[in-house]
Amino acid sequence: MSSVLKAQNVSFAYTRVPVLEHVSFDVQAGDYVGIIGPNGGGKTTLLKLLLGLERGEGNIALFGVPLANFKDWHKIGYLAQKSPVSQSRFPISAEEVVLMGLPNRCGSETCVSELKQVHEAMQKTRTRQYAGTIFHDLSIGQQQRVLLARAIVSQPELLILDEPSTALDAQSREMFFDLLGELNKKHGVTILLITHDTGEVGKHISKFMYVDKTVIFFGTKQEFCHSEAVAKQLGPFAQHTIDHLHNHHGHCPLGEDCEECAHGGKHA
Amino acid sequence: MLEFLSYSFVQRGLVAGTFVAVACALLGVFLVLKRLSLIGDGMSHVCLTGVAVALLTSTSPVYMSVPIVMAASVGIMKLTQKFKIYGDAAIGIVSAAGLSVGLLLTSLAGGFNTDLLGYLFGSILTVSFSEAVLCAVLLGIVLLCLLSFYRYLVSACFDAPFAHTRGISVQTVNTVLVMITSVAVVLAFKVVGIFLISALLIIPPVAALLISRTFKQVLWLAALFGAVSVWVGVWISFVCNIPSGASIILVNLAILLSSYLWSRAGGTNAR
Repeated sequence: MSSVLKAQNVSFAYTRVPVLEHVSFDVQAGDYVGIIGPNGGGKTTLLKLLLGLERGEGNIALFGVPLANFKDWHKIGYLAQKSPVSQSRFPISAEEVVLMGLPNRCGSETCVSELKQVHEAMQKTRTRQYAGTIFHDLSIGQQQRVLLARAIVSQPELLILDEPSTALDAQSREMFFDLLGELNKKHGVTILLITHDTGEVGKHISKFMYVDKTVIFFGTKQEFCHSEAVAKQLGPFAQHTIDHLHNHHGHCPLGEDCEECAHGGKHA
Repeated sequence: MLEFLSYSFVQRGLVAGTFVAVACALLGVFLVLKRLSLIGDGMSHVCLTGVAVALLTSTSPVYMSVPIVMAASVGIMKLTQKFKIYGDAAIGIVSAAGLSVGLLLTSLAGGFNTDLLGYLFGSILTVSFSEAVLCAVLLGIVLLCLLSFYRYLVSACFDAPFAHTRGISVQTVNTVLVMITSVAVVLAFKVVGIFLISALLIIPPVAALLISRTFKQVLWLAALFGAVSVWVGVWISFVCNIPSGASIILVNLAILLSSYLWSRAGGTNAR
């Protein structure tokens, strides 16, 4: 498997207080990585660094190319934590928003081939019926689904998502994670997903990354349950967290292989 | 009723005013949506420094103001990007600096005189041929940028972080936008005066945004409102013998009010 995303000794500080220190990991093609960690642990900042939205120290490579020289942005789909439109009345349709995800090959006009891709992506996220609606007029959940369509319209090889499911209702959330699972399994799309919804995402992901100022853990679900580093980091909350999620979802949030972890807490 | 159109200086002023108003309206759409509306106000205050330097050195206020206002706009961007100061605060700082330096230099130049008052309150009928040509060039550049980079501009304006992940240099887009706005502001002070320039950048786009359903519609309507405000404003100015700058802005305000009423009546994109 080839490296899709590699970080080496990445550090970042907004002022003098470090947000992230000495972060290193290597995401392989086909990985579905769930990034978890406490609020303020630097998860969103990490994604921003990986996309070049913030500049820190260390080395980042996308598809083997150093970030500074990376040009194939169509290979990457990105969905941010917050919807870009808050109160401003931006007169743009949902269809035009999705179109933004494609490289500009047809000038100021829209080509037929582009529209076809846009409609396919909207079909997948069940937003086709909103194509002509002003983006601002959609609910936050509908906007989020349109933005997911924008993230996948260029048929990216890597999807980077920052807490994408927070504004979604239960049905949309299930559709959302099923779609991500399908993209990962059928089309081999590598996914990096920040989430607090470990129960839902636990069904699909192949790896966990626990971030709290640095990468505390990065490995498979099974390894996560048996990680001493995670147990040490979460302390007395480890069992509580797992039990809480276990009770809510009726199965071990970290996968069926973690029965021992969820019930006994020996390792956590 | 239209006899004023027979004067060549009126024709020149109208043509130049239309070019500037349309350019300002088109640029203003992006500035308003990027919440940089007041950058025009800040730049216009810096114009006073340019005019004062020109009066001191007996050079052209327009040519003297362009580099000074461009430098000020770079200053505003650096304050927001490097020093993480809020955009409105950065505009306020540069605006105050421009106004105070301008007043100081004006005092050194011998105080307020007729020329300076013309720049403060606008004198569209004194636009020279070369200035009219400059206005045409400005509009040409704005239209060329819009046609060439329309999707980049809209994308960077709608969602800058996502635009970055499409390989769009948002910083370059912002710099180009602000630089062109600098030139527009300098050319506009002849039309409506230093004090009222920002109205040309803000009011037509806001009026268009109130009643448009698509982005292209906003651009067309903003341009139309800008142009109409100049024609009707100059006509009212001629008929009623009032300052043209003020009448142009009052027409803009009337258009804004009409758009608001239209949107309230249901012809709007608002929820």
